[in-house]
Amino acid sequence: MTPTAPADAFTPGAYAARARAWLHDNLTDALRTDRALSEPASLAERVAFEAEMHKAGLAGITWPKAYGGHGLTLREHLEANREIGRAPVPNSVNSIGKELAGPIIMAVGTPAQQAEYLPEILNMQTIWCQGFSEPGAGSDLAALRTKAEATADGWRVNGQKIWTSGASKSQRCLLLARTGSVQDRHRGLVMFAVPMDSPGVSVREIRSIDGARSFCEVFFSDVIVDEANMLGTPDEGWAAATRVLSIERATNRMYRPWRFQSELEHLVAVCRSDKAAYAVLKSHARELAEIRTEIELLKGHVETLVDSLLAGEEIGPRGSFPKFFWSEAHQRFTRLAFDIVSRFAPGVDGPLRDVQARMQEAYLSSRAETIYAGTTEIQLDIIANRILHLKKVA
Amino acid sequence: MYDDLKPADFEATALMAVEACAKAGTTAERAQLLAEAGLLGVLAPDDCGGLGLSMRFGVPIASAAGKGLLAYPLIETMVLARALAGVAPDMATALCEGSVIASIAWAGFGDDGVVGRAPLAHEAAQVLVFLADGRAVLVATDDQVSVDAAPEFDLDVPEATLRLSAPPQGIVLSAALVATLKAEAQFLRTAVVLGSVSACLGLASDYAQDRVQFGKLLSANQALRHRMSRDAVVAETLRSGLARALTAPREGAGMARDALWCWAAQAGPSVAESAIQVLGGMGFTWDVPLHRHLRRMRALAHQGAARERLDEIADAVLGSTDNEWYGDIADAR
Repeated sequence: MTPTAPADAFTPGAYAARARAWLHDNLTDALRTDRALSEPASLAERVAFEAEMHKAGLAGITWPKAYGGHGLTLREHLEANREIGRAPVPNSVNSIGKELAGPIIMAVGTPAQQAEYLPEILNMQTIWCQGFSEPGAGSDLAALRTKAEATADGWRVNGQKIWTSGASKSQRCLLLARTGSVQDRHRGLVMFAVPMDSPGVSVREIRSIDGARSFCEVFFSDVIVDEANMLGTPDEGWAAATRVLSIERATNRMYRPWRFQSELEHLVAVCRSDKAAYAVLKSHARELAEIRTEIELLKGHVETLVDSLLAGEEIGPRGSFPKFFWSEAHQRFTRLAFDIVSRFAPGVDGPLRDVQARMQEAYLSSRAETIYAGTTEIQLDIIANRILHLKKVA
Repeated sequence: MYDDLKPADFEATALMAVEACAKAGTTAERAQLLAEAGLLGVLAPDDCGGLGLSMRFGVPIASAAGKGLLAYPLIETMVLARALAGVAPDMATALCEGSVIASIAWAGFGDDGVVGRAPLAHEAAQVLVFLADGRAVLVATDDQVSVDAAPEFDLDVPEATLRLSAPPQGIVLSAALVATLKAEAQFLRTAVVLGSVSACLGLASDYAQDRVQFGKLLSANQALRHRMSRDAVVAETLRSGLARALTAPREGAGMARDALWCWAAQAGPSVAESAIQVLGGMGFTWDVPLHRHLRRMRALAHQGAARERLDEIADAVLGSTDNEWYGDIADAR
């Protein structure tokens, strides 16, 4: 990797150009997500790359300097994310740490917890996973059963989590458990930062429809969690988490519209290199234009929310608009892209085979996008209940 | 001079003026009401009786016009008054004052002798006619022009077709002025669609929260709640898209504007169709104004040549990329 400039050297106007130059110098072929058939980068290589990204000012942008961040605003975060989206950069292996656990710890963590946990997220020493969903509590999170009992040794945790992305690679779990009974619903929920090497924690990988093995089941069997690892008090942690989640829903992976555009540009550029593939592409011209318009409108959703947050406005349920919009729009795109690459001549190789593999994988993996982080149906419920305020009874 | 004005200030004024216009008997009376509220000349410079404000101020006015189904060629007047200011200031002033009613024939070229899609042209004294070379001519609707009322699809701002007996004569706008005028009209059309979408969603949600079927409110049914939520996403997408396109985005202002318009032209009418479905048999009646919003938005889609703009976006998508990550792939077409 080339030496990285300290983030302090950046001025807001030059931020995008610096990000672009850094990615150009440091994003290797093995890391590129558009080289679907090449040997992928190892976890260690991805971790090292992300740590360098942070040093170069492309991660932790809005985090306070005291926690290892760059102390800048969402404006610079947006600038950097445009460039990250434009390039075939892999998704973070620590997005739960950076976009969920970190902000929650900043909101409710003690100074000691903040000092211990936060810098290690950005320098990639600690990868986090999210222990929220359970076999009986997906969209209806308040039905979760994992139990935390106060004992003389600390909190004793028993239960099972599922759809825990990256759990087998993680050092810590942001765990949501309950102190009382299931009937308490939202009351008595408590949040912990659980070391994944604690006795009694076991992980089983689940293979997802795209063939990946990043989803996991995590079992907690009489796991003792130190009081010092509780985030906020019972109730307080969950209340903070819901506030953070509403912002994160609006701002996480802010690069999406630029990434979708980049995927489209990849598809087009490769098809232009082959007469037969270009003929296929051209036969879908109008559908491609519709996808392109949706990408442009998604930029509007993202940039408008950034403006609102910079103006100090509450996002609240408005985060459901971009979540709903991007997930459905991307599924329309990947479905179209799948059809296009599936019509390539048999036996294509080189860049054509790369884009074919990338779009086939994207088609399958995008099925998750209308499910995770609140299903489409949950987003529509949020809009009906909290934005339109539609009555259910007269 | 108007530094203390905010776009939102115009929204309330525009809504009141549009409401007053709905009760006015003639187009000339509506012209006076809109002129007195300062709405017709909001984009035109102040030496022509305008306010010299940016498009950000035009959008809430156009949105109010859409919401209230304003029966006036508002988009045409606003963009013409600005375009004519440097060419024919007296005419621009007359448009701002509402003393002359003008329209624009959005379809066809004057060179061919027939142009169309001119809102309320049968009541207009002047109509802008485009030429094949990119320029346009403002022609008087007198002896050289016969105006046929087209089948009245849009009931509130019905379109007309114009037959020219001779090559169009009148005030000429340069190709550059015409390009700007067309771009400004795209913003205003999108804003009219946003106004109509808001009105349709409001009618649907009011009805669904009043009508009881099977012993419960329509709005208690998840299928209808989700339908209206999807329609709310359309409104929010138009709002955020306008906000972005109006702030001259760093990347491609033209793409931001045209993509927004193409999307508005498709998604807007779908919200009216959705609201008709929510209102059921009532939605299908003449008296409920949903069909007027639907007609208005469909007419606007064609005035703004949304399908043609989408084809242009397709050409841009299929063209070479400026994304350097893919610039090195050989072009073999």
